[in-house]
Amino acid sequence: MDVNRDRPAVDADWHRVHPASPFVRGWVALVAVVVFFGRDIFERALQGRELVDEGLNGRILWLLAGGAALLLLTVAGFVLSWYFTRYQLSQGYVRVNTGFLFKQQRQARLDRVQAIDIVQPLLARIFGLAELKFEVADAGESAVRLAYLPIEQAKQLRATILGRAAGVADGAETAPVPEAPEHVVLSVPHGRLVGSLLLSEQSFFVVLGAIASVVFSVLTESGAVVLYLIPAILGLGAAYWKSFNKGFNFTAAISPDGIRLRYGLLDTQAQTVPPGRIQALRITQPPLWRILGWYRIQVNVAGYGGNPGNENAARTTLLPVGGMGEVMQTLALVLPDPGTPDPYRVFAAAVNGLDSDAGFTTTPRRARLIAPLGWRRNAFLATGTALLLRSGRWWRQLVLVPHQRTQSMALSQGPLARRFGVADLVLHTTAGPVVPRLIQADVGEAVALFDQQAARAREARKRQTSEQWLAELSRAGSLPVPAPLQAVQRPANATTTTQEEPRNG
Amino acid sequence: MHTSAIDPPGIEWQRVSSKYVTVRLVEWAVGNLLLVAVLSIPLLFVLLGGWQFPPLWLAAIVPAAMFLLALWRLVLIPRQVRAIGYAERDEDLLIRRGIFYQRTMVVPYGRMQYVDVAVGPVERALGLCTLKLHTASPGTNALLPGLPAAEGARLREQLTARGEARLAGL
Repeated sequence: MDVNRDRPAVDADWHRVHPASPFVRGWVALVAVVVFFGRDIFERALQGRELVDEGLNGRILWLLAGGAALLLLTVAGFVLSWYFTRYQLSQGYVRVNTGFLFKQQRQARLDRVQAIDIVQPLLARIFGLAELKFEVADAGESAVRLAYLPIEQAKQLRATILGRAAGVADGAETAPVPEAPEHVVLSVPHGRLVGSLLLSEQSFFVVLGAIASVVFSVLTESGAVVLYLIPAILGLGAAYWKSFNKGFNFTAAISPDGIRLRYGLLDTQAQTVPPGRIQALRITQPPLWRILGWYRIQVNVAGYGGNPGNENAARTTLLPVGGMGEVMQTLALVLPDPGTPDPYRVFAAAVNGLDSDAGFTTTPRRARLIAPLGWRRNAFLATGTALLLRSGRWWRQLVLVPHQRTQSMALSQGPLARRFGVADLVLHTTAGPVVPRLIQADVGEAVALFDQQAARAREARKRQTSEQWLAELSRAGSLPVPAPLQAVQRPANATTTTQEEPRNG
Repeated sequence: MHTSAIDPPGIEWQRVSSKYVTVRLVEWAVGNLLLVAVLSIPLLFVLLGGWQFPPLWLAAIVPAAMFLLALWRLVLIPRQVRAIGYAERDEDLLIRRGIFYQRTMVVPYGRMQYVDVAVGPVERALGLCTLKLHTASPGTNALLPGLPAAEGARLREQLTARGEARLAGL
């Protein structure tokens, strides 16, 4: 049945996904049909009674026949949908045909790839299958989803697509592209993941709610309050479980194809984000995480879109929880050239700092009435390659936007801000969790930054011309050695001793 | 031309057509007068039908306050229209607007994904159009209303041509 089991996915032939795919995807429907029509018989069989109730006088046969027909129809639908789903990789395009009543043909340019994910839900994982998602810059829906392929084939296809997109493999070549070697940069230990969940904002409210309910039950002298809390506890448990399931075994690696992220306990996901596809990055630190010096990193990638949701939240997370060393390593992956001679000092000041250390420009002192806490923290700094926007005294936040990724910008000023001589600068980026905004900067500084930033973005775009990142690099004669990592060698040895890091108070 | 502290220095702003005030007036009338009329219904019933519940002062003060607010908005319209400006620079387009809440925006030509020209019924009667620029960011809310149709068409062609010449990826 499987026409391409022994052959790697190469040019021009049309391939089908694995024949088991529709069953893996639609097993719920099958189980529902079987349970609905067969439950009575199962129960009777278990109780050792006769299989068919005489009281129904043969009507049971019709019922069973109906169930069988429905089952057959569902299976036939599955087989047809499998048969008519075909994909092809040729001449710089990936094409997918689907549907037998309403046909759909879709093609996407390989060099427009923004990210490739390989997703394995639990059931698919049991059968050794995986779904491949190909993202282009079209916020939301995946351009191409191939569900399901044998895992090896999915990896091979990913390597081929990335190789073509990177420009190392010619479109005419039929030989499969070997998978790019990768170098694991960091991973999140299980203990830290659990700790991060326990110290999350959510836990704070859980504790608050628990105290409130205990007080309430003591005051009213009734234990019935606990009963009302059961749904809440179940919901919270599910939320914690989801976060745990998604964040488990998080690993980030660097390869010439880009950044590779892997995570998941039952459902696993492997994301590949080619170099330069990250539009904006945000480092945050909830107040409780400061005790242990932990941070979270989220990114905007054009293909992932902005719709909130658990799955998307996981996809846009570049580092679920990590210490300063991991943060520096991740920054080095995203921004190979930090554009400053002393990146460690600059980024440390950006993440934890106050006032104008390392060259940051803060909100002017005269505006401290409208930003009593934040005025020493709100600041910006433009390095040679990116703009850093710092904010949040308690909920610390740093937003980083590479210069060539700036889409458009807007300066805005309300009446109160005008009274204090400050203005906000918003950088527009693709949809995602990161919204870069410089708040309450001095008007003169903001206008100057507005002008300079437009010029910097222009220059940066001129330098970067090709979408084929490896072709560009090989022309320049340098291999994509993680040169950035050199910049973080110093903090790198701190990764194993994150817990002992100086507390950032 | 109205300029303010947050505008980059040395920009020669182009103004939109003063006929755009009419468009805004029609929009204002449709929105605000209708609202005031709806809010006046209880007052009418209290005066004529002898409703007991809303006391007269309450029934009167709500539409009156809304009417004053509407008048305030009406007075602002001509100044708001005068505050809309745009400037074509070599590499990007600047758009400004607002009096109390001012905003100055820059859209690089190479970042434009597409340009929309929309014409509503009132705008069509006055020979105006609205230009909208789209980049890859949903946050880019670059709206340029009240352009004369010919200027809108010229700007659209100009922007598209410049965008193609400087097209960059994402």
